[in-house]
Amino acid sequence: MDIAVLVKQSLDVQELRVDQDTGKIYIEDAPTKAGDIELNATEEAVRLKEKFGGKAIALMLSTWGASGKRQKEAREALTRVLAMGLDGAMLITGEGAERGDTYMIAKALAQEIRDKFGLVLAAEGSEDNFSGLLPARLAAELGWPYVAYATAIEVEGDYVKVTRSLEDFEEVVKVKLPAVISVTQEINKPRVPKLVEIVKAKKKPMDQKDFSPPVEPKLTIRELKVPKVERKRIVIEGDVEEAAEKLIQALKEEGVL
Amino acid sequence: MKVLAFSHSMDLALELVSAGRELGDVSLLVTSDQEGWINEVKGAKEILLCKEMDSGDQEGLVELISGLAGDYEVVLLASDRRGRELVGQVAHRLGASSAVDVSSLSVEKGKLVVERMTFGGKAIAVEEMGLPAVISVQKGKFRPPEEGKPSVREVGAPSVERRIEVIGGKEKPKVGVPLDKAEIVVAVGRGFRKKEDLKLAYELADVLGGVVGATRPLAADLKWMEEEVWIGISGVRIAPKLLIVVGASGQQQFAAGIMDSKVVVAVNTDSKAPIFEQADYGVVMDLYEFLPVLTKKLKEIKGG
Ligand SMILES: Cc1cc2nc3c(=O)[nH]c(=O)nc-3n(C[C@H](O)[C@H](O)[C@H](O)COP(=O)(O)OP(=O)(O)OC[C@H]3O[C@@H](n4cnc5c(N)ncnc54)[C@H](O)[C@@H]3O)c2cc1C
Repeated sequence: MDIAVLVKQSLDVQELRVDQDTGKIYIEDAPTKAGDIELNATEEAVRLKEKFGGKAIALMLSTWGASGKRQKEAREALTRVLAMGLDGAMLITGEGAERGDTYMIAKALAQEIRDKFGLVLAAEGSEDNFSGLLPARLAAELGWPYVAYATAIEVEGDYVKVTRSLEDFEEVVKVKLPAVISVTQEINKPRVPKLVEIVKAKKKPMDQKDFSPPVEPKLTIRELKVPKVERKRIVIEGDVEEAAEKLIQALKEEGVL
Repeated sequence: MKVLAFSHSMDLALELVSAGRELGDVSLLVTSDQEGWINEVKGAKEILLCKEMDSGDQEGLVELISGLAGDYEVVLLASDRRGRELVGQVAHRLGASSAVDVSSLSVEKGKLVVERMTFGGKAIAVEEMGLPAVISVQKGKFRPPEEGKPSVREVGAPSVERRIEVIGGKEKPKVGVPLDKAEIVVAVGRGFRKKEDLKLAYELADVLGGVVGATRPLAADLKWMEEEVWIGISGVRIAPKLLIVVGASGQQQFAAGIMDSKVVVAVNTDSKAPIFEQADYGVVMDLYEFLPVLTKKLKEIKGG
């Protein structure tokens, strides 16, 4: 059974600069990367294929347009997951993908997955938008079952046994393959590739495919706003005793003690 | 506008009814295991009771909700994990637009306009959605409605080919005061070296009459605490009047969960930790030295 891992080219939100006064969001200046939880999905795919055979391939549909910088980052993100042990990667790019919503992207990705893979692994949410909508939509498009928030996956013949973490409940389900499963960060510890694996990863097959929008999007982003959070950022000085006293005094003045 | 709502939890279902009433008439779907809610639900126009479906049947629910949705412009689901799992599937079945965790919703010129957090909390996206739309609503944003007795109509269950079978599971331990309702929160991070050391945080919370929350790695990864107490974009969003963050770096995904706090204090050995950007008062110190002294002094003034 071959496994597809969905890897999104996400904005590195830690590096993203926003200006609270002007409301400007410096999207172009921030780097993009494979999401952290996608590294968990990759790790799980590698472990499953090592145990049960088959190939594991990363799929990325870049929605950042044709700029050289973003293309380079996309290939770097894929090289990162290839170095962890995936067998190959496919990068889909092209005009129109920037306008893509999850409806459009799921339709486009399904064309690359149907009849080719038995299992799709994804993150519970992407690094930058964290909606978790895409794997669910992809499952619906393919007509496959969908299970989210997996913390353990085992293959048992035509089924996978999935343990998943809900707020108040830990559930174990048996899912008929083919299936789409999203994982949480707790499922494993992603391996950190060695330099030689990164060098080797650059020689692994990376297919490029042109994107053409299969449908029109159902959703558009009208505006991005910067939430206003005003913090005093006062550093309390002194030794331990003094600092504790000053802090208590400040909190009294705030009226929160 | 007609709105269909469903949630696995009654509290969240009531919040959905309120959110839906901003758009029009709300029908709340209730499954067999939820039949007891019928006398308690207020504000919905009608209750759709499906006696042949259990809320634990994910595939059945997707089919049932998608089938009923044809009569509605908007489907509202909850932003808990079970709810979010349904949103994309139902939306795609309907060829509908979708959004999760929305904090506000309104109709403009035949489009639904919603707001939601994005970029790990650094931005708010205003999104225009074509109808029909399937949406999950952020927890705690809408108060349960106070009046209006719904009528009850029974609906049948569709036949579904099941590929997911629940074969086991266990309840997670429950926590006392829900974090999102607490007035004072002490949030702990990986700066604590072992589980036993958390007692420093519990003692501080005790003297303040507060509760202890955590960063994700502490709850989900190290499992030092119940999972309901992790704060952040993938956990709870809190809004206490006082938050003391101890030994947490303040990565964006955590910071997104504390934005609505009134006063934020940070204790961290690293003066460059991003948490100090998110704090009103910063103490650059070892928590092992600072917390015992702070707790002791607070005890003295509280007369304990
Ligand atoms: C998509 C996604 C979603 C996520 N969602 C969440 C979420 O909802 N909530 C969440 O919390 N995280 C979330 N994370 C993880 C998040 O990015 C961080 O990894 C996490 O918040 C870090 O936890 P921490 O601050 O406890 O640990 P660390 O980042 O390791 O920070 C520990 C801090 O303790 C300080 N310290 C060490 N020793 C001491 C001492 N003796 N005294 C005082 N200070 C000390 C250090 O200086 C450091 O700043 C998410 C990640 C992703 C990718």
